[in-house]
Amino acid sequence: MSVSAVSGGRKRLSEGLTVTQKVFVRSRNGGATKIVREHYLRNDIPCLSRSCSICPTIVVPDAKNELPKFVLSESPQDLKNIGKHYTVLDTNIVLQAIDLLENPNCFFDVIVPQIVLDEVRNKSYPVYTRLRNLCRDSDGKKRFIVFHNEFSEATFVERLKDESINDRNDRAIRKTCEWYLDHLAKSEIKIILVSNDRLNRISASDEKFITKSLYEYVELLPNSDEVKESMPNLDSSQYNKDAESINEFSYPEFYPTSRIMGGLKNGSLFQGNIQISEYNFLEGSVNIPSFSRPVLVVGQKNLNRAFNGDQVIVELLPESQWKAPSTVALDAEHYDVNDNPENDNEVDANLIADSQRRLLAENAITAQKSNKVQPTARVVAIPRRSWRQYVGQIAPNSVDTQTGGTQNVFVILMDKCLPKIRIRTRRATELLSKRIVVSIDSWPSNHKFPLGHFVRNLGGVEEAQAETEALLLEHDVEYRPFSKKVLECLPEEGHDWKAPVDLKSQDAIAKDPLLQKRVDLRDKLICSIDPPGCVDIDDALHAKKLPNGHFEVGVHIADVTHFVKAGTPLDAEGASRGTSVYLVDKRIDMLPMLLGTDLCSLKPYVDRFAFSVIWELDENADIVKVDFSKSVIRSREAFSYEQAQLRIDDKNQTDELTLGMRALLDLSIKLKQKRLDAGALNLASPEVKVHMDSETSDPGEVEIKKLLATNSLVEEFMLLANISVARKIYDSFPQTAMLRRHAAPPSTNFEILNEMLQKRKGLSISLESSKALADSLDRCVDKKDPYFNTLVRIMSTRCMMAAQYFYSGAYSYSDFRHYGLAVDIYTHFTSPIRRYCDVVAHRQLAGAIGYEPLDLSHRDKNKMEMICKNINRRHRNAQFAGRASIEYYVGQVMRNNESVETGYVIKVLNNGIVVIVPKFGVEGLIRLENLTKDTSSANFDEVDFKLTFTQIDTGKQREIHVFDKVEVQLKSVLDPVTSKRKAELLLK
Amino acid sequence: MSRFELYSPEGLRLDGRRWNELRRFECSINTHAHASDGSSYLEQGNNKIVTLVKGPQEPILRSQLDATKASLNITVNITKFSKMERSKSSHKNERRVLEMQTALVRTFEKNVMLHLYPRTLIDIEIHVLQQDGGILGSLINSITLALIDSGIAMYDYVSAISIGLYDTTPLLDVNTLEENAMSTVTLGVIGKSEKLSLLSVEDKIPLDRLESVLAIGIAGAHRVRELMDNELRKHAAHRVAKSSAK
Repeated sequence: MSVSAVSGGRKRLSEGLTVTQKVFVRSRNGGATKIVREHYLRNDIPCLSRSCSICPTIVVPDAKNELPKFVLSESPQDLKNIGKHYTVLDTNIVLQAIDLLENPNCFFDVIVPQIVLDEVRNKSYPVYTRLRNLCRDSDGKKRFIVFHNEFSEATFVERLKDESINDRNDRAIRKTCEWYLDHLAKSEIKIILVSNDRLNRISASDEKFITKSLYEYVELLPNSDEVKESMPNLDSSQYNKDAESINEFSYPEFYPTSRIMGGLKNGSLFQGNIQISEYNFLEGSVNIPSFSRPVLVVGQKNLNRAFNGDQVIVELLPESQWKAPSTVALDAEHYDVNDNPENDNEVDANLIADSQRRLLAENAITAQKSNKVQPTARVVAIPRRSWRQYVGQIAPNSVDTQTGGTQNVFVILMDKCLPKIRIRTRRATELLSKRIVVSIDSWPSNHKFPLGHFVRNLGGVEEAQAETEALLLEHDVEYRPFSKKVLECLPEEGHDWKAPVDLKSQDAIAKDPLLQKRVDLRDKLICSIDPPGCVDIDDALHAKKLPNGHFEVGVHIADVTHFVKAGTPLDAEGASRGTSVYLVDKRIDMLPMLLGTDLCSLKPYVDRFAFSVIWELDENADIVKVDFSKSVIRSREAFSYEQAQLRIDDKNQTDELTLGMRALLDLSIKLKQKRLDAGALNLASPEVKVHMDSETSDPGEVEIKKLLATNSLVEEFMLLANISVARKIYDSFPQTAMLRRHAAPPSTNFEILNEMLQKRKGLSISLESSKALADSLDRCVDKKDPYFNTLVRIMSTRCMMAAQYFYSGAYSYSDFRHYGLAVDIYTHFTSPIRRYCDVVAHRQLAGAIGYEPLDLSHRDKNKMEMICKNINRRHRNAQFAGRASIEYYVGQVMRNNESVETGYVIKVLNNGIVVIVPKFGVEGLIRLENLTKDTSSANFDEVDFKLTFTQIDTGKQREIHVFDKVEVQLKSVLDPVTSKRKAELLLK
Repeated sequence: MSRFELYSPEGLRLDGRRWNELRRFECSINTHAHASDGSSYLEQGNNKIVTLVKGPQEPILRSQLDATKASLNITVNITKFSKMERSKSSHKNERRVLEMQTALVRTFEKNVMLHLYPRTLIDIEIHVLQQDGGILGSLINSITLALIDSGIAMYDYVSAISIGLYDTTPLLDVNTLEENAMSTVTLGVIGKSEKLSLLSVEDKIPLDRLESVLAIGIAGAHRVRELMDNELRKHAAHRVAKSSAK
């Protein structure tokens, strides 16, 4: 091989391949390391433009023997005064305006230089994924490509002496533009570099290609008015320069990185995720591993622009400023309502000072009274923002309906832990009382509120569809229809798909060679028991008495993985959705309908593929042996819980199916008893169900969910199946088995509840073991009030840890324990149609029994970690979305019928009480102002959990304790500021 | 989650190579003619390796003496400065290094005609000056070169290469970043054949992917053999010219 030096340490290796060294210094833990990496430069990187005649001759196929696709159009968008052009993006544009790039009406034929992609990846991984998706999916319409400028010999630039990395990267982008312009000279396609970096634009001014800022570029577009609406709002001073001079309000500046690194190292600064209190948006807490209790961050200046969920660096405040968590409720929407969005720099000093001083004073008093002081801290830097798109509505009093033009308005977000967002819009009047999606761009220190921009309009407030969509967006639930690529993975036969009649037939085996390994269970008397109206039937059961007196019990789960093969787009979509989401009026499926409600669903009277777990149980319901197999089944009947109960109770029925069901019921009772003896918890949550009117689909009435014996029949066997499967897959894949754990709650979680119980009822909850907890919960009864026990269970549920999915390599065996169910190992296996965890468990079990080899992605710890993280998050979001949906509809129901109901006080605050109403499952704050006229006469006793005040109507003193049973008037009101409907409670 | 885009959708790796491209491969032999009987210097990417062969010579210890064949002794010295960060320990008795030495001895015992040199010791000393992934493969290549230089009889070249598996794509000749992020396989191939003298897999590789990995690995090893062969012939031509000039 001929090796010759090219300029600057480059060596030519062969025709079109040169190697150089990339040298840079990296500082880590205070030390500096010189990194030397090889960097290969090549001349076979195509421009990917269809108008190019050279590049198609130089391309090489990749590992799958596919040639790159030429994407950029030969006749791109033609602009006035400029002509046909391709757009090159700078990093700042991608980071600031990714929404705009995704907009289907602008930005066509875009070139993303590799260096930009790298910079974006380092700055924000989510934006990077979105950009990559754009490049992948936008073949026909948007036409985005990545050009590997760093690896192309023609466009690689060496860093000059005394040149900063940023400058070098900017130069690399400019070099790319230049190359494209020369390369496409024949076809007369212009290159426009869009950059918001002024210096970069200045340096490019003497080049031949055109440079524009985002604003200038959008101005050029034919549909600029429409597009401008969703432009990021970076700093208003760009538009109205006179505002710059007024800078009265400002947040403390963030510390520089060097100081943070040093501070974290020497232990004077701490890092954690901030959680804003749901009752008070000016108070946050940060969990720091080295502290037993969370650190409080109180007040706007101390919070220093942190959003709920941000990763923050905090610095402790002096001990004299430590305090107890505030007992005041405060919402963003009612606070500083009078701020003017047009000039929020110029704040009415008196108003702020007063409201804040009052708060401070109140806090000081409570802090003195109590001994429960917690360390407080202030935020000094925010390394990672949790910003996403938010749903909210324009605050009506911030809109000037008289003037038509562009104006600044406030958007109040649905999530009450977050501050208002200031956006600029032309359509403020039009968007009033609409649910809109906004995205946040920046929060400069001299702005009291973050700056954002309008993304889209969902529809009117209180329109069912807009509200549902808002709710889904707010909980990050993917609800768009499945894409074409996903639907292509479904069986061609569609609804006509049938399980082969003869498992041995050559034709069927030729189509599916694994068919031979399936077991034929169509002779078993299998039935399914589900809620009424259920269409996605995941599970079916059967039981048979064996000659030796034991029972054969089978649980059959829909064989989803037969249709959802690993690595397909269908699988990727399922993995990213993670779970189906159930709303009152809608179901968002994890898998396409065809699978969920038909092919996989274990419908009665037809042959279906299933994954069967078959046990031999003795009369005490102990497992004698267990067997797993893929099978073909035919369900004899699909029962609802009630029907099943009736059939079991009906003494006249003595057919084999009924006998089997009775056996199942008997066994399930034994299983349940064993579980409870082992210390399984019976927790409660205030679950209600909203009945919809079938014709008008208006919400009708609210009902508390009932439990029948058949509910627990199904549940017990599902638990048993999950446990058996968990053991099996852990056995086969000790490092990567998909499992579910539930950690024991730390005793600090129960501190307050225990103190309340002790003080008020003389009871306590033991946390020694789950058994002790279960027993002590059983003892928490008030003879006069049967609901009290449920109330305590509801409150203790909230003190529990959330169960989580994990892969077995992440924890040691002793930590696998599921505290709530009191088993040592557990997984989810029984609902693969609606949960992705179960899909993984199915694949692993199939691998464990040798049905088919397990896909690589489920054998890789890192990939499993990503899957677990995602499904945990999706699971949580789905739960929240479901609850929010119920809450909304309960509000709608109450709109029609105002009533007086029994409620229980679950929390006593300084300026109000929190009451839960079991009948509707709603919970609400009654503010002190609504309890008494004379707020100053109210007295809050933190030790006794007691609030004393003068009643409005009678003028008598009244004491309210926690756990008190109270009569409340329920009505649903539309908040004028937020236009959010919620249940308002008034004490009777 | 790796911090890098190890293999981009456009088919380029971190350092700009495609999936089936070798790193820069440069070698020379007879570099330390006075210090040893055979020597080589190899640069494979940023792997830089000096190898010295001493022998066949009389064993120092009686225990090393074998009446039927020569005994082979390989010591690998990984210098403290060979990585980005200077390591505190010399890697002398590290398990990883000892394992590597054993693997090397076993590979070459089968390829060197040891029976021709009974009652002797062949001592191979390797110094790794810089390392950048796929080190075992580079060691084998450098030993092959040094053994040939020393004139010890061998059946054929042993050329070696590491292959990583990224998702479903095999990547030839991995560097450190790639090696740390994915499962890798090291292959030692004899001459132009498809016989393997070494197959080392330290992580999990799905069985159904192994075939494609081996295929590209064998092709890569053949290419390495060719590069070594070219260098040897060039060197030989040079020496012949020098001696005939005298």
